[in-house]
Amino acid sequence: MQRIHQGAALCFVAFSVFVVWEAWNLEYYTPLGPGPGFFPLWLGAVMGGLSVLWLAQVSSRRGRPKEGALLPERDGRVRLLSVLGSMVAATLLMDVLGFQSAMFLLLLFLLLIPGRQRLWLTLVVALLGSVGIYHLFGSYLDVQLPKASLSLLARLGL
Amino acid sequence: MEALQNLLMGFTVALAPQNLLFAFLGSVLGTAIGVLPGVGPVAGVAMLIPLTFQMSPTGAIIMLTALFYGTQYGGTITSILLNVPGEAASAITCLDGYAMAKQGRAGVALSIAAIGSFVGGTIATIALVLAAGPLTRMALQFGPVEFFALIVLGLSLLMGLAGKSMVKALMMGIFGLILAMVGMDPVRGLPRFTFGRMEFMDGIGFVPVIMGLFGLAEILVNTEEKLTSVSVAKMSSLVPGKKEIGDSVGPILRGSVIGTLLGLVPGMTGSASSFLSYIAEKKVSKYPDRFGTGMIEGVAGPETANNAHANGALIPLFTLGIPASPTVAVIMGAFMMHGLIPGPFLFKEHADVAWGVIASFYVGNVILLILNLPLIGIWVKILKIPYGLLFAVIVAFMMVGAYSVSNSTFDILVMVLFGIVGYLLRKLDFPLAPIVLTLILGPLMERSLRTALDMSQGDFGIIFESPIAVVLLSLAAVILVAPAFRFFRKKTETLSGEEGA
Repeated sequence: MQRIHQGAALCFVAFSVFVVWEAWNLEYYTPLGPGPGFFPLWLGAVMGGLSVLWLAQVSSRRGRPKEGALLPERDGRVRLLSVLGSMVAATLLMDVLGFQSAMFLLLLFLLLIPGRQRLWLTLVVALLGSVGIYHLFGSYLDVQLPKASLSLLARLGL
Repeated sequence: MEALQNLLMGFTVALAPQNLLFAFLGSVLGTAIGVLPGVGPVAGVAMLIPLTFQMSPTGAIIMLTALFYGTQYGGTITSILLNVPGEAASAITCLDGYAMAKQGRAGVALSIAAIGSFVGGTIATIALVLAAGPLTRMALQFGPVEFFALIVLGLSLLMGLAGKSMVKALMMGIFGLILAMVGMDPVRGLPRFTFGRMEFMDGIGFVPVIMGLFGLAEILVNTEEKLTSVSVAKMSSLVPGKKEIGDSVGPILRGSVIGTLLGLVPGMTGSASSFLSYIAEKKVSKYPDRFGTGMIEGVAGPETANNAHANGALIPLFTLGIPASPTVAVIMGAFMMHGLIPGPFLFKEHADVAWGVIASFYVGNVILLILNLPLIGIWVKILKIPYGLLFAVIVAFMMVGAYSVSNSTFDILVMVLFGIVGYLLRKLDFPLAPIVLTLILGPLMERSLRTALDMSQGDFGIIFESPIAVVLLSLAAVILVAPAFRFFRKKTETLSGEEGA
């Protein structure tokens, strides 16, 4: 776990270097006072200092973090990735398949695979969920939800 | 007298049929969110902000604030029936509440908790009414320098209390401030950290970020384990006996005072109030050793305190424009999305909104009292819904919520990204609350300082010309530096102990 904390601290150091680098290209001070780069530059610098301090803490014997894994074991990891992967896939498919179809497929997957629900219940919840959310947000709350760009699905009103 | 007149005017707004409906909806949704595992009040309020876009600002804020204190009621139900706190603020209730449930007294525990929550919430609202005038008058004297100093003080209080490690809390605070820098520079109007993407021109949407950090990250943590159902303790009669009522009066009154006062302090969490109330009850009790075995005082005090805290925490938001907790910060964000800036000018420029929302707190607390007792059976049924089914529906709502902020799938991807970030930060034991607060307060802080420096043509001396700002900044410095002193003193004591040995 100590290695993971050290790695995370280094990621924060890299992040702060990036912030300082970006802020460097912005105007730091103007005749009227601080420019757009003033705050980000100092924030990046302070973040860098704190990250180095944290790195020193986790590297010292006293500050060594408790043992334990950052990520779960294989089954948990698969569930985790399947949830994230399906969300990203559904988001990317929304403009192609339309909101209702993409949401139906997402709910179908989440309920059946990580959720381990029965098929009939999955189908009912996925159908009601996708159509219900579409109408709640689309019709009642005036949110312009994505429509299918595939002509076949578009003709079906999806 | 003026406060009473304003409050009466507020009641005419709060009791309008549509606002009553919004208070009712907020109370029901808040209780449901408090009951549901995996959705805390922060993510819950953020998730429901998109639902309010078509509402009037008053209706929207009434619904979101009702939702906020409704979660406190809901959290109690799971603590007593499940031994699992729905909210951190209800954790201490598990000790005596669940013990009462095991003895077949769950109904009595829930009734007393609901009554205590109602009294605590009402007393804190009275405090808000009384404090509104003087605090607002004081805040109206503040210029940009004083506001900058006030925000710095508010943030430093939050940092010091945010977790076990001051370094980690500060890192998260700075992380939130950096995220707040994305978008157009508030003074010069130049793009910063936008990487040429139009989606970033208005900054990173706080709704997707908060839903990711708090909502999705919580779901990801729960997904690690197999998604199973829970077993719920049996319900009993809801009517408390004379002795139980008598034993609860003192704890309810003490809990109201503790919760209201701690709610005023930025950074104090609801759990600090309930924990302190529990300790106070144990101290004044004739039978402190019986706590944890089903003492009604152990339920009445903390449950009153956490609700008084939730309402009390709205005092600094309404009067000074400073959110005292992450959920209140999200409510502040909702105010801003509806074109309102909470703080002293709210009372001046939108008195109907300010007093209407305050009056709605009374209404909301009455609704919650009525809702909680007779409808307890429905909340128990919600608890029995398998998590494997529930989490998928929550994910779907989060996705559509993130999308509807600016009708863009890009925001869903931002939410997923921050879900991963939140998951990893939780695993590394980073406190997430400072990110929310600085993300929302960051732009206000930068604007205040830069406006002040524009006035002095770049001379930082303007800060030291204001005695109020100097006092506020000195306090902030003491709060931030104190833990370092404690650390070095402890180290010196350890070393001298080692030398002596």
